[in-house]
Amino acid sequence: MKIHFDLNGQEVEVEASASTTLLTLLRETLGLTGAKPACEVGECGACSVIVDGRVVDSCLMLAAQVDGRRVVTVEGLVAAQDGPNDLQQAFLDAGAVQCGYCTPGFIVAAEALLARNSNPNRQEIRQGIAGNLCRCTGYHQIVDAVEMTAARRRGYKSQGNRGGHAKDALA
Amino acid sequence: MSDLHVVGHPFWAIDGVDKVMGRARYVGDIHLPEMLVAKVLRSPVPHARLARLEMAPALKMPGVVAAVCADDFFEHGSLGYPVKDAFVLAHEKVRYVGDPIAVVAAETEQAAQDGVRAIVCDLEELPGLFDVEQASMPGAPLIPLVPPLGKGNLVAEQIVRYGEPRPVLDGCEFVLDERYACNHQEHAYLETEGALAVPDEDGGVTVYANDQSPFINRDNLVMVLGIPPDKVRVIQAVVGGSFGGKDDIGYQTSAQVAALALKTGRPVRLTLTREESMLASYKREAMRYHVILGADSDGQLKAAKVEILADSGAYASMTPLAAWRASVHAAGAYRYEAVHVDTQVLYTNNGYSGAFRGFGNTESVAVIEQAVDELADRLGEDPLAWRLKNCLRQGDRTMTGALLDHEVGLTRCLEWVRQHSDWDRKRTAYARQAPQDIRRGIGVACYFHGSSLGGEGEDYATATLEVEDDFSLTLTSGLTDFGQGSRTVYTMIAAEALGVEPQRIHMPRPDTQISVESGPTVASRATMVGGNATQVAAKKLDGLLRKAAGDALGCLPGDVARFGEKYVSPSENALDFEEVVKHARQMGLVLSVRGRWQIPTIEWDFEQGTGKPYFCYVFGAQVAEVSLDTRTGHTEVLGVWAAHDGGRIIYPQGAAGQMFGGIAQGIGYALMEDMRFDRGYSLHTNLDGYLVPTALDVPPVDLKFIEEPFEQGPFGARNLAEPVMIATAPALANALAQASSYRRRALPLTHEQRVLGDPLLPPGSRQRCLTAMDLNA
Repeated sequence: MKIHFDLNGQEVEVEASASTTLLTLLRETLGLTGAKPACEVGECGACSVIVDGRVVDSCLMLAAQVDGRRVVTVEGLVAAQDGPNDLQQAFLDAGAVQCGYCTPGFIVAAEALLARNSNPNRQEIRQGIAGNLCRCTGYHQIVDAVEMTAARRRGYKSQGNRGGHAKDALA
Repeated sequence: MSDLHVVGHPFWAIDGVDKVMGRARYVGDIHLPEMLVAKVLRSPVPHARLARLEMAPALKMPGVVAAVCADDFFEHGSLGYPVKDAFVLAHEKVRYVGDPIAVVAAETEQAAQDGVRAIVCDLEELPGLFDVEQASMPGAPLIPLVPPLGKGNLVAEQIVRYGEPRPVLDGCEFVLDERYACNHQEHAYLETEGALAVPDEDGGVTVYANDQSPFINRDNLVMVLGIPPDKVRVIQAVVGGSFGGKDDIGYQTSAQVAALALKTGRPVRLTLTREESMLASYKREAMRYHVILGADSDGQLKAAKVEILADSGAYASMTPLAAWRASVHAAGAYRYEAVHVDTQVLYTNNGYSGAFRGFGNTESVAVIEQAVDELADRLGEDPLAWRLKNCLRQGDRTMTGALLDHEVGLTRCLEWVRQHSDWDRKRTAYARQAPQDIRRGIGVACYFHGSSLGGEGEDYATATLEVEDDFSLTLTSGLTDFGQGSRTVYTMIAAEALGVEPQRIHMPRPDTQISVESGPTVASRATMVGGNATQVAAKKLDGLLRKAAGDALGCLPGDVARFGEKYVSPSENALDFEEVVKHARQMGLVLSVRGRWQIPTIEWDFEQGTGKPYFCYVFGAQVAEVSLDTRTGHTEVLGVWAAHDGGRIIYPQGAAGQMFGGIAQGIGYALMEDMRFDRGYSLHTNLDGYLVPTALDVPPVDLKFIEEPFEQGPFGARNLAEPVMIATAPALANALAQASSYRRRALPLTHEQRVLGDPLLPPGSRQRCLTAMDLNA
C-alpha cells in the first residue's frame, strides 16, 4: 500500500506491505538507521521516534499507521550547519554517550519530554526516559544532559531567542 | 600535575557527534549492494547427538544462495581459548539450547528463515546435565567430546596456596562457615551480536564485526577458514556495548558470514535477534562458594578456606580464566596469615558462560563481602570499622601472599564512603529500628582488583602515530573501543604527551591491516596498557619533532621548549607545529612511529597456586542504602556512595560514566537480573522478562575517584571499568540483611526471592525458546 506522511518536515510517499513496521520502513526503505532494533518487543526504546508529538516504539507500530501523520526521527533533530542541536550537544558535554546504540532513542524521548514540559525536575526526567534502556551509562549523565538543556532553553526563551531547530520540528 | 592541558580535563567522546546524531553505523546499519542476509539453525534441545544434517533441501528454497555447517570449516571449525572445545557450528553434538548448527544465506531474511526451516536435522537427544554439583558425580552425562583434563566434565581447576589455613582456623575464636551462590547474568548490551563479511577480489575476505578483539577474531578466521593471514582482514565496526560479552560468539558469527561470503562471492550479513542473542550468547558464570573464615578474639582476620564451583555451561569459553581471577580474589581485600582456595570449573547444559565485567571477581566480591559482614556481625563489630581494621594497606601481603609495594588507596576509599553516606549515624539508627513494615538498611562492601591480565597471559599493546600530509595525526591502537571510551582516552594521552591540540588527532577504529596486534581488549587494561603504548609512541614522535625543531632553531633538541603547539628556542625564536613537521621532512625524518608497552613479567604457578598474580591492583568501596517493605518485599535503593582508587583519571566524564554504569549493572545483578535455566531452557528470551535497571531503578549516586597516582601508568592512571561495578551487589545484599535481619546468601535477591525465598518464575519453557528461535516445536 502507499503511505504518505511528514518525515522530519518533508512529505514522503512510500510503498509498504501491511505487515511492515515503522522501524523497518524507516531503516530498510527510507535508509534512516538512527532508530535501532534492540528488543523489537517495545521494551527498550532504542527504536523511539516521535509521531504527532508523542514518543512511540517504532518496532511496535505498523508503517501504515503513520499515514497522514508527522514523524520525527533523530535525523530530523539537527541544528543549523548540520551539527548537533543543543540537546545533542548537552549529551556530549555531560558524557552521556558511551556505546551510543541507545542514544538516538534517548535524544528522541528527551525532546518529546522537553516539548511537553520545559522545566522538568530530575524525577520527571527519569520518568520521561524510563521507557528507554541504557546498559552503559547508568542514566545519571543522561539526566544531567536533559536538565542542562531545559535550563538553557528556558534561558533562550526569556531572552526572546528561539529554542533551536529541534523545537521547531516538534511544534 | 596541574600543568596538564588535556588529561584530567572535561572532554567530549571523540565518536560522540556521530552517535548523538544517529549517524554512527553499527553492523546492522550497513547495507551493501548484493548483500545477502544470514539466518541460523539452532539447537532446540540442551544435549543431543547430531545424527543427520542435510543442507541440500535448504539450497532448493527460493532465494537461498548458500548454506554452511561444521564440515565447511577446517577441522570442523574447532576453536576456543584457553580450551579448544567449541566449534563455529555444532560438530557431532549440540550442547545447549541455542547452539548454532547451520547458517543459510539468502536474498531476504524471510528466504533465509525458510531455508533454515528446510534443513533436515535429526537430533538424538542425550541425557542433560543441569546441576553443576552433579557434574562430577559418577554416571553424570558427559558433555565435552574430549574431556580437556581427562576427568569427565571437569573443565579446569584453579588453586591458591598461601600458608596453611587449617591449623590457624583451629586456633581462631570466631569461625564463619557458610555457603553462598551467585546466579548467571546476561550482558544485555543494547546492540546484539552481528558481523558482515565482504569477499575481496583476491580471494580473501573482509569482516566488519562488533567484536571485542579484532586480532583474535582474525587469527580464528585464519584458523577455521584455512586461508592465509593476508587474505583475512577484520575491521572493527562501531560496537553497541560489550561488557565482556562479544568475544567468542563474535568469532563464531564472523566465521559463519566469512565462509558464506567466500562461498557466494557476495557480502553476507548476520545480526542476531534479541531472542537469539539471549539464548545463544554466553553469560556470567553461576558460581557456588563454600567460605570458611577465622578471626581471633580481637577481631583480626587470620585465615580463609574457600571452595568454588563454577558452572561453565556447554563450553569452556573464558570461564577457566574467570575462575582463576575469582580464585585469586576469593578471600577479598584483607590481610591473612593463610588462605587456600580450591576452584572447579565444570560443564553442564545450562547455556554457556564466559567473560562478563569483573570476570570472576564480581562473584568473589559479592560473596566474600557478605561473608565478612556476617563475621563482623558475629564479632559484634561495625562492618565498616572492622573492614578498616583488616583491609589491605601499602606494604601488606594480599590473600595470595603477594607484596603490595605500590600505593593503596583502600582505606581512603572506605573513609570517604563512611563520611559521605553518614554511615555511623545511619548504621546505628537502623540497627535500633522498631519492628515496622518499612525498614531501612545500609551496607558496605570493598574490593581489590588485579589490574590487567595478570597471570592469564602476555600483557602488551601497540599504538602507531603518524603525521599526515595535512599535518593532522593518525593514531591507531590494536585495542578496541566498544563504548567505554578508550579511543577518547588515547587521543587525550597522545595530545598531552605530544603537546598538540587533540583536534589534530584522528583515531580510526582497529583494522587488522592498519593497526598493530595488541592482544585482547579485556580486563580493564585499555587505559593502562594501551595508554602507555600510546604515550610511548607520542614520546617517540615528540623526540623526532624536537630534533627537527632544534635543527631549525639552531639549538639542542633538549633545549627546545614548548608553548602550546609552538617549539621555542632558548633565544625565543618560535616555530609552529607545521613548520617543524616540514623541516623534519626536509631532514628526511620519517614521522611515523610505533609504541609498544608490556607489563613487567609476573609469575603465577598454576600447579602450585603460588606466585604474583598481578602487576598492580586497584581498590574501592561502596555503601548502599535501601528501604524494604517487609510485607511486600518492595525494595527501593535510596542511595549509593562509591569511591575508587584507579590512579589518575584521564577522561573525567568517561570515568564517571563507567562508575554510574557499573553501579547500575551491580544493582541489576543484586536485585533484578535473574538469568536462569530450567532443564537447560532459559527462562527469559527478551528484555520483557529479563529486567535490567531503568532510569527509575537507579538512585542518586555520590562518587569519588581517590587518585593515588601510579608511577608506571600513563600520567599516573591504573584502571577502573570493571571493578567499579563489583562492590554494588554485596553492599546492597548487606543493606538488605540489615533491613530484613535475614540473609539469603544467594544472588539475585529479586522481589520474589526477598518475600518468598523463591524466584517464582515460570518453568523453563521449551515452547518459548523454540518460538524465540523461530523453530516449530
